[in-house]
Formats: sequence, structure tokens, C-alpha cells
Amino acid sequence: MLEGMIRFTTATAGWGAVTALHGVTLALAAGRVTGLVGESGSGKTTLLRAALGLVPLRAGTVTVGGTAVGALLTQDRRAFRARAQLLPQDAAGALSPRMIVRRLLAEPAAIHGRGQDRVAPLMAALGLAPELLDRYPHQLSGGQARRVAAVRALMLDPAILLADEPTAGLDVSVQGGLLTVLLERQRALGQTLVVCSHNLNVIRRISDDLVVMYVGEVVETGPAAALYAAPAHPYTAALLSTNPVLDPARRRMPIPLRGEVPSILHPPAGCRFHPRCFQAQPRCAVDPPALVAAEGRQVRCHYPLAGGSTSV
Amino acid sequence: MIEIQDLTAWYGASTVLRGVNLRIDQGEILGLVGESGSGKSTLALALLGMTVGLERRGRIVMDGTDLESLDEPARAAWRGQRMAMVFQDPSVALNPLFTIGTHLIDVLRRRTPGLSRANARAAAEAALRAVEIADPALRLRAYPHELSGGMKQRVMIAMALAAAPDLLLADEPTTALDATIEAGIVRLLQQLRQEFHGSILFISHQLGLVAQLCDAVAVMYAGAVIERGPVDGVTTAPRHPYTQLLIACELEGDPGAPILSIPGDVPRPADHPPGCLFAARCPMAEAACDMPQTLRTVAPSWEVACWKA
Repeated sequence: MLEGMIRFTTATAGWGAVTALHGVTLALAAGRVTGLVGESGSGKTTLLRAALGLVPLRAGTVTVGGTAVGALLTQDRRAFRARAQLLPQDAAGALSPRMIVRRLLAEPAAIHGRGQDRVAPLMAALGLAPELLDRYPHQLSGGQARRVAAVRALMLDPAILLADEPTAGLDVSVQGGLLTVLLERQRALGQTLVVCSHNLNVIRRISDDLVVMYVGEVVETGPAAALYAAPAHPYTAALLSTNPVLDPARRRMPIPLRGEVPSILHPPAGCRFHPRCFQAQPRCAVDPPALVAAEGRQVRCHYPLAGGSTSV
Repeated sequence: MIEIQDLTAWYGASTVLRGVNLRIDQGEILGLVGESGSGKSTLALALLGMTVGLERRGRIVMDGTDLESLDEPARAAWRGQRMAMVFQDPSVALNPLFTIGTHLIDVLRRRTPGLSRANARAAAEAALRAVEIADPALRLRAYPHELSGGMKQRVMIAMALAAAPDLLLADEPTTALDATIEAGIVRLLQQLRQEFHGSILFISHQLGLVAQLCDAVAVMYAGAVIERGPVDGVTTAPRHPYTQLLIACELEGDPGAPILSIPGDVPRPADHPPGCLFAARCPMAEAACDMPQTLRTVAPSWEVACWKA
């Protein structure tokens, strides 16, 4: 199972003046479902792309199964690409406009010398009618394009699947179908599945572990149930409190945050969250906190919330 | 105070709104939910009389006047003075060539002809302060690109409220924003109710958001309103099978509970099912569902378009 472990060690990545990932140290457990949450600019997508070597690191390392991703790509690029798949956020944009769906689905199988026996059952499971095989991507709805991209990512039975906003733009009545297929394949393959999403209900329902990011850094990580029940980082608490809930018994007041998400071009000094934090102390403005392990989770805060330290 | 009666909108053989009946009460925040293509945005545009490329039939009665019977200049006057709209994406709703001040003063002077420049500027500052924008005098001189998405949406709300409309239409006003910024906008809308006495039609695909903000909720499916009732009632004990399934799909249950979806497809605008629009996907459908279903009252202020509800 360890071959599916993804490990970042003080990984920094970016382009030009942008540092999208800042000193990320994180282990994504093999064979588990990890939910990745954070607002735009927090570095979620860059983290996923860096894990596949699609974004070069400026500093630090990222390994998969104990081997540096750069080395895996040099040794056998094709084998690594088959083993670790990305389900990109812009699914429609990832499908070549010049190919019909049938060819789009035949291509990965041909490149990797596999059969196409997985295509029909995956399409059926995702509610894609066979006649869509003869359509071009622009003839698909956004939801259909996303599901075609999911078939492409899943048909090679990858040991690792990184799904970037897999349900964005899908209506709630159809998102369940995609999630069910993702989880069924995850269990069948013992897959390492990482899902980043804005939908906190989806993340809560499917994740074993949770990673919370803010402006390029991991601020809290641990078992998803524990973090939802008792967040330790004030940002985790604020973010999770924004989830609008139908059940009046479960509804909590969103914790109001001051100001806006800071630009990644000008991250605040000290703790990156301190200008918006509801319990910031003078120290937080000057002294950047480290990610500290405590009771099954890791928290980047000088003054973690009490609930978080006792409930794990 | 606004009564939409049997409103149908179509092009060719395709029907986008199928006989919508909906009441928006004075001072009420009505949530309008439904999946993509259900007709939510078209209904908002129909209220404004701005459904480009669609033909319409039916009545929209506001204060005793059927807006659909007005000629375009008369309709435009209602639109400018009695209604205002906040769109989903504030970054394309503001003109990049004009300052925030120009946008706001435009609205204020249209609403109050003859308003002096100084008074208009003071009113614009007050409007920004009301939506909790710091340094309003400074922000009035800013161009849209100098503001964040959340701040731009606050400006849009300030512009909408500056017209002192009787009806504010908000079409997914927080969808383009980050979660913590969205929470701030929802809080702002809640606070604005104290001073704003008009009605709000809050369009969203997020039922949870509607539950938090609205007094009542209307659910649309395939171009029709299929349930309308008090928000706490509809979100905790929905009566229409579609609403029940939609809420079950929200995944609010505990981890490990089944992940649900609704099999089948929404009827397309070109499809014209003879009976209930949802029957083909409804687990409770029977032969009697072949008859068209119209809204009927099942409890005070609660209407459902299902004979079984």
C-alpha cells in the first residue's frame, strides 16, 4: 500500500512572482480518501499538479511511494502517468476538441497498451449513454464532459487519483453518481484518492483525512471526522462554519472573518491568517507558526482552539 | 405584492417556463431553487421583461398592474425604479471604464432626478457604508479592477439598493465568491433587511444557503414551480417527491450513509410530457401521474404540484 503514499517535504512551487505553495510538508496516506479544502489561491490545484510533476518545485521534494516524482518520470514516464491520474478541474478543456468521445477514450488505452473493457461499464455507471461516444466535446454538456474525463482517468485503474473539484458545476441530483463511482473504484483498487472541493458536504461525506490550506500553506490536517467535529485552527473553524446546512439542529452561525483572502503575491507577515483571525495575538503578526503535530493531527497556529486538542 | 400567473416562455417548439405560478409577498425573502436549466434565471429576467429571444404569455401583476401588458417605455420605467438585479458575476456587471462613484451616482440621479452632485456623492458614500465598505470616499474614486470580487458584489448590492426598489432580484449573488466571503455577503443581506422594506427574490442552487437566509422557498423543475412554502417546512419536511430527493442528495447525513442521486434526465425544453413533469424519474409515480399537476394548497402558505403530497 505504501506505493501510493504521496509525501511533500518543505515543498515550494510557483511561477514568476507567485509562490503558490509555500514550504508544504504533508503526507497523503496510501489507500485512503483525502479531502483538500481551502479558498481560491490557497494552492490546492498546485499541490495536486506538483504531486504529478506537472509543476516543478523551487525547493523541497515530493515523493510517490518513496521515490522522487522527478526520478519516477525520468525512469518510466509512461508507467508513472498510468499509475497516477489527474481529473482536472476544467474537464471539458482537457478533452481535445478534434476528437469524438470514442477516440478520446481509445487514446489512453492505446498509449498504455491496455484494452478498453473498462469503458462501457464505467460509462454505464456514470450514466453516460452509449450514443455520446460519437459526439465531440463541444456537443456535451458540462456535466457530461466531466464524466467523460472521469472515465478517462479511471479506465487505467490508477493506484493514485487526484480529483480537482470533481463535482463543480454538477447538479446535486447527478453528483452522487460520480462520487459513488469514485468511491467504488477507490475501494476496489485500494486507491489513494485525493479530492479537492469547495463543497464541504461532499468532502465530509467521502473523506478519511482532511487537509486545510490557506494562502499556499497547510494550516491543519488530520482525520476528517475529528476536524469537522472540533477544528483546532481558527481558519478551519471559520471555513467549516460557512457551510450552509439545511438541518436547523445542525446549523451553526458562520464565524465572521474580517477582510478578504490576501493576495498570494503579498502574503501577510507572521501567521498568514492573522489579519483575518478572530483571536490573533501580537505574536501572530511577527512570528510565523510552524505546523505542529498533536494528538493525531497537525496544526499551524500559536493558539489552537481548545476543542481541537482534546477531541481526537 | 407580486403575483406571477401562468407565465410561459418559449422559442419555437421549446418551452423554458411552463405556466409558472408564484407569489412574492411584501417584504419577504423568497428563495428560488432548482437545478441548472430549471428556469430560475429565465424567471428573473421575465420579471424584468428582458427575456431576449423568448416569447412570453401570462401575467406578472405588481400593485394591481399587469407588467406584461405594458409597452416597452412603461416597462423600462418599472424596471429602473421598482426593481433591481444583482447578477452572479460582479466582475462583468460593472463597467471597467467608470469609477464606482460614477456607477452609483448614475443610479441615484436616475432614481431622484435633479439631485445635486454634492448630495449624490454623499448618498453614494452612505450607500457604500451601508454595505460595510471601509473608506467609502476613497472607494468611490476606484475603478472596478481595483476591488476584490467580494467588494465588487457589495458595490452591486449598494447600486441595487440605491434605487430603493420594491423588488430586489439576486441571481446566485455569491456563487462566484469564496466561502468566507460568501458568508459575509449573506450576513450583509440579513442585516439589510432592517432598513430595506422591499421583497427579495434570492436565486440559488444551494438549498442550505436558502435555508439560512430566506423566509420562503420555491422549487423549480423543468420550467415550473413544483413546491412553494415556508423555508423551515420545505427544507425539513418537503412534500413534493422531487424536493424530497433533491434534499436527500445534499449529502448532509453522516459519513457512511448512502450517497444518492436522482436517476434519469430532466425533460428538455422540446419535450412536453403530458402529465407530471417529474413522473418519469419519480419513485412514487402511478398511472394517475399522467394527468398534468398544478399547485394546490396543502398547508397554510404551502403549495405543492403533486396529487399525492
